[in-house]
Amino acid sequence: MLEIRGIAKTFNPGTLNEVRALQGVDLTIQEGSFVVVIGTNGSGKSTLLNAVAGTFLVDTGAIRLAGTDVTRWPEHRRATLIGRVFQNPFSGTAPHMSIAENLSLAARRGRRRGLGWSLPRIFTDQLGEHVRRLSMGLEGRLDNAIGSLSGGQRQALTLLMATWLKPQLLLLDEHTAALDPKSADQVIRLSEEIVSRDRLTTLMVTHSMQQATSLGDRLIMMHRGRVLHDLQGSEKRRLRVDDLLARFEEVRRGELLDETAADMLKQTYV
Amino acid sequence: MTLLIGAWTIGLILSLLALGVFISFRIFDFPDITTEGSITLGATIAATLLVVGVSPAWATVAGFCGGAVAGATTGILHTKFKIHGLLSGILVMTALYSINLRIMGKSNVPLLSEVTLATRAEQLAASLLGGAANFNVFGWEVGVRDGAMFVFSLLFIALVGVLLYAFFRTNLGTAMRAAGDNAQMIKALGANVDHMIIGGLALANGLVALAGALLAQYQGFADVQMGIGMVVWGLASVIIGEALIGSPSLGLTIVGAVMGSILFRLLVAIALRAGLDPNDLKLITATFVFLALILPNLLASLKSNNARVTNA
Ligand SMILES: Nc1ncnc2c1ncn2[C@@H]1O[C@H](COP(=O)(O)OP(=O)(O)O)[C@@H](O)[C@H]1O
Ligand SMILES: [Mg+2]
Repeated sequence: MLEIRGIAKTFNPGTLNEVRALQGVDLTIQEGSFVVVIGTNGSGKSTLLNAVAGTFLVDTGAIRLAGTDVTRWPEHRRATLIGRVFQNPFSGTAPHMSIAENLSLAARRGRRRGLGWSLPRIFTDQLGEHVRRLSMGLEGRLDNAIGSLSGGQRQALTLLMATWLKPQLLLLDEHTAALDPKSADQVIRLSEEIVSRDRLTTLMVTHSMQQATSLGDRLIMMHRGRVLHDLQGSEKRRLRVDDLLARFEEVRRGELLDETAADMLKQTYV
Repeated sequence: MTLLIGAWTIGLILSLLALGVFISFRIFDFPDITTEGSITLGATIAATLLVVGVSPAWATVAGFCGGAVAGATTGILHTKFKIHGLLSGILVMTALYSINLRIMGKSNVPLLSEVTLATRAEQLAASLLGGAANFNVFGWEVGVRDGAMFVFSLLFIALVGVLLYAFFRTNLGTAMRAAGDNAQMIKALGANVDHMIIGGLALANGLVALAGALLAQYQGFADVQMGIGMVVWGLASVIIGEALIGSPSLGLTIVGAVMGSILFRLLVAIALRAGLDPNDLKLITATFVFLALILPNLLASLKSNNARVTNA
């Protein structure tokens, strides 16, 4: 279970580049829940995931994960509880190391790394089976460097790595946005499969209305560093792409209103 | 032949330097200038301890440890105090200059009558050979002292190479390589990248200091100036090794660094014999590394230019 209490984050505070990326987010995600996050560009979706993963520490608020307060934990420590797939396929794997070595690193996520062999027989023997399930044709290439793989293959592997040890929380940040439609489809199907098989508590950001409506049991829409809508249960199940588009349109009109209001103020006072 | 076998031996000893540079520059992509201070530190510690009667083995180990502490210091400056990597190395290197002078109490410590690893190797060889003054290495007649040190260095470097290879195949070593390859990824997998960098630089500079400790015992002195230019020297060896091997495989890269170091030293010995002014050596080495660094890009842009011309 993930509990987020009133977290806020301002980048470059007190400068011209000040960005109030999170302005008080409250969110409780039940164990096993699959939450889809949508929102306009720059609304703070990635910042929310980064705050949970510990890429930076939040200015205010608290984050509890699996019953532990992790608010002050550094990123690598939170990784004992969290599995993660990034938007950029280059971010999640070590390009000059082999598929097998990358997986061996994932197999020790959050554990002590000592002087035991990283690729003992007992481990490499089970690799092929796991990799075959990705249906990416990688089972025969375990000794190849990751650098030679396509974006889709990398994301599939990163997904396998993030979930190799069952995480308390899986974070997916637009992890199919950089892929061609076919690979994106494959990776999304894999994600769904793994999440439902292991009943993973998941927070997935997506830009695809299609994915937002068909996946997950809850949807939150972010806007300007806040949660604007939170749909669960039957409301989420009934949700169609058109409904979502309507909500985005609403946000856009709100923005326009804001702008006209600002213009009016300017004209009156400046 | 004595000169050439000497070049082989020094090439072997300095391959420890090459391996250290390989770890910091190639594995961690960290331009570590500490190297110039830590090779001298290794020599200084070993020589000073030998003079006060410590056994050669322990003096050598102490040299390694000194280098490891220096490397860890650079790593801490960089990770904990957020000082630029290059500057962290420069700070530690500069500090080491004074430290080395303090340790020796003067700028040069000769090892004339002290028992060193070189004299130990010589004694052992002499007793094995039953007192002959010369023996045969790969068909060359060489003096016992030179031959013994050559064989000793060869075995020692082989051992270090195997240990290093094994280490980088362990969970810790693999995580270190990953920290150099993709820090964001290994952080997301729960490893403390700061610790990896500190440990990696400690290992790298430990090896460099080991080279210094062996070099002092082979040459018979430690000198506060002996580290100058050693980073470029090590880089040249690594680059030659990569050209010789042309493979990204870990084991072969380690072998390549050793081969590169030996080949480079042989080239230098031959060039010096052909009349090259020793004072020009560092200029030539720097030019060589410069060319090796820009050549791949230059060739690639030439190729793409040609392609454009033919396409037009
Ligand atoms: N590390 C950072 N430094 C400065 N500004 C940032 C940083 N990360 C995000 N931002 C800013 O915060 C806002 C929210 O960004 P983000 O969470 O990435 O949006 P999105 O919802 O598109 O993922 C944006 O205006 C972005 O420019
Ligand atoms: Mg984003």
